[in-house]
Amino acid sequence: MPDKVSPVAALSPASRAWGEIEPHSDEPHWAMVVDEERCIGCWSCAVICKSENDLPLGMWWNRILTDGDGLDEPAVEHGRPAMHWVPLTCQHCENAPCVKVCPVGATYRRDDGVVMMDNDRCIGCRYCMIACPYGVRAFNWGRPERPNSVETGMLPARPVGTVEKCTLCVHRLAENQVPSCVWSCPAQARIFGDLNDPDSRVNRLIREREGEVLLEEVGTRPSVHYLPSRRRSEL
Amino acid sequence: MSAIATPAARPRRIRIGRGLAVWLAVVVGFIVAGGVAWLYQLSEGLRVTGLRNTMMWGQYILFFMFFVGLSAGGLIVASAGRLFGVAAFKPISRLAVLEATIAVLLAGMFIIPDLGRPERIVNILLHPNLTSPMIWDIAIVFVYLGLSAFYVWLYTRADLARAGSPLAAGSGTSPAALERDERLKSALAWVALPAAILLHSITAWIFGLQISRGFWYTALMAPMFIASALVSGLGLVIVLALILRRFRRLTFGNDLVAMLGGLLGVFIAVQAFFLFAEFLTAAYPGAPGEAGPAHRMLTGPYAPMFWFEVLVGLGVPFAILVVRRHRHSARWVGLASVIAIVGIFVHRLNLLLNGLSFPPIGLPPGVSIGVAQGSGGSFAESYWYAPTIVEWLIVGGVLAVGALLFTLAALVLPLEERAAHDGG
Repeated sequence: MPDKVSPVAALSPASRAWGEIEPHSDEPHWAMVVDEERCIGCWSCAVICKSENDLPLGMWWNRILTDGDGLDEPAVEHGRPAMHWVPLTCQHCENAPCVKVCPVGATYRRDDGVVMMDNDRCIGCRYCMIACPYGVRAFNWGRPERPNSVETGMLPARPVGTVEKCTLCVHRLAENQVPSCVWSCPAQARIFGDLNDPDSRVNRLIREREGEVLLEEVGTRPSVHYLPSRRRSEL
Repeated sequence: MSAIATPAARPRRIRIGRGLAVWLAVVVGFIVAGGVAWLYQLSEGLRVTGLRNTMMWGQYILFFMFFVGLSAGGLIVASAGRLFGVAAFKPISRLAVLEATIAVLLAGMFIIPDLGRPERIVNILLHPNLTSPMIWDIAIVFVYLGLSAFYVWLYTRADLARAGSPLAAGSGTSPAALERDERLKSALAWVALPAAILLHSITAWIFGLQISRGFWYTALMAPMFIASALVSGLGLVIVLALILRRFRRLTFGNDLVAMLGGLLGVFIAVQAFFLFAEFLTAAYPGAPGEAGPAHRMLTGPYAPMFWFEVLVGLGVPFAILVVRRHRHSARWVGLASVIAIVGIFVHRLNLLLNGLSFPPIGLPPGVSIGVAQGSGGSFAESYWYAPTIVEWLIVGGVLAVGALLFTLAALVLPLEERAAHDGG
């Protein structure tokens, strides 16, 4: 999909090293771990996602939900206010409902676990958006609007009338770099790695911290895992 | 049989009186307006509709569902009448298959403006994904359309041949040919009835197989679709039959009206039973998820529409039809049919809105709407969908295509069975 100049080439050696994917198996299953204990609800990942993937106004692939009564409003736990956030993007499910329902196979799961969109094949029926329980798919309702008409990212714009979503920054994966939401997180709440490598950091964290997935009851087997907070985030 | 035997078919001249001319002009006007609206939607994208990421299906899918349902009544009445030897249905069997054909054609047409990239629809043939219920639904829509169109031709071709119409496609009216027609009709009834059941089931499974939409995820979806399809489909056949009788294009007695009215009453009762079973199961545990949408329907924001569906849409026509005297009155049966059709429309509306308007992860700030908002932010936890004028114009255009086709068919096709040649 990407046919523009890679931004990775322009990075300093130190920045490159910072974003490098850790050693992994030959046939990786890419996954992300989100540490809810570390997330500070700053939306940096959501904003850099917009920039990296050139998302027009009104379009978000990545957003930070508040586990409370309103945006950044605390919930009450055991009689005291507490703050939790749930950063939410495509869960890259192994049993992806969107892949199952797409009438033309425009959304599919790659061997490395990334659920992808073929925007040249999509007929725009939006059945995948119906099927996705996470609400992470977005439709191009009209011509994209951008502030100052500046295209920011490295990806070509997606055609009007098709569905798009998080790609785990496959254009960065191709250069052995983690997705942009991962390296840019100021609290390092996102960890990227290979589920097929038993000793990978993501696997160790999921084991040690008893990682959970969202909406486990619908059986989608997401590749994104969440580490519950060990301390109570009381205010 | 109550049908009045008419003289042998003769070529009929079509006179276009003033009323008909005005009607045709209005219908064509709606088609043109719909076409212009669709061109506008094609150039601007679907943002000219009221749809957004939070409510991604609306008016077009609603009318698709509704017309799939409407097409049921026709084919099921016609083919069941033949399969189970209900000779009384004969006077309306041609009308019934014609109604089924036009309704399923319109259903297919309603899909097109819903697509973001309608010019890529050929991908359905090039890259079909067989795990998608939508692929199977499109396939059955085409099979059903072909089947019902052939059915219409089979029912009318002998009369067309007698009248020397080119629509008879050169087929003859020898006793052998007529006998072959009868055999074909009976054989086709065996295919048409399951096809009709399949059409409605597969359409239901587009919704009913989606575990992410708790309100839709129920095994009762397909049976309920068939029940509601029978109500609205038979209702429309009754209304059209009464209209055609008024315009002297069809002859039948009120005993048939009473029979159809009684059948409609039974279908309404079945639909009400399914609805009750569904809501009882959803609401009883009192758990979130299933009970959430049920609660919204019973007492929450959707309650007025839900109770309209139940009390007016099902209750009133049933109350009318349960009275024997009313069933023998064309006016009462016609009124009950119209209300029942409206009731099923509201049923489908409730199904669509309630299934979609609340995302499964209901945490703030919600789902990204998908278009730049001047104010109020780009996110919404729930979304009140209302179709725009563009959606109304496009729907009006497709409906007008149906009205035009039906009017032309009623003028050109011999919709009345001629007892003298009926072989029974």
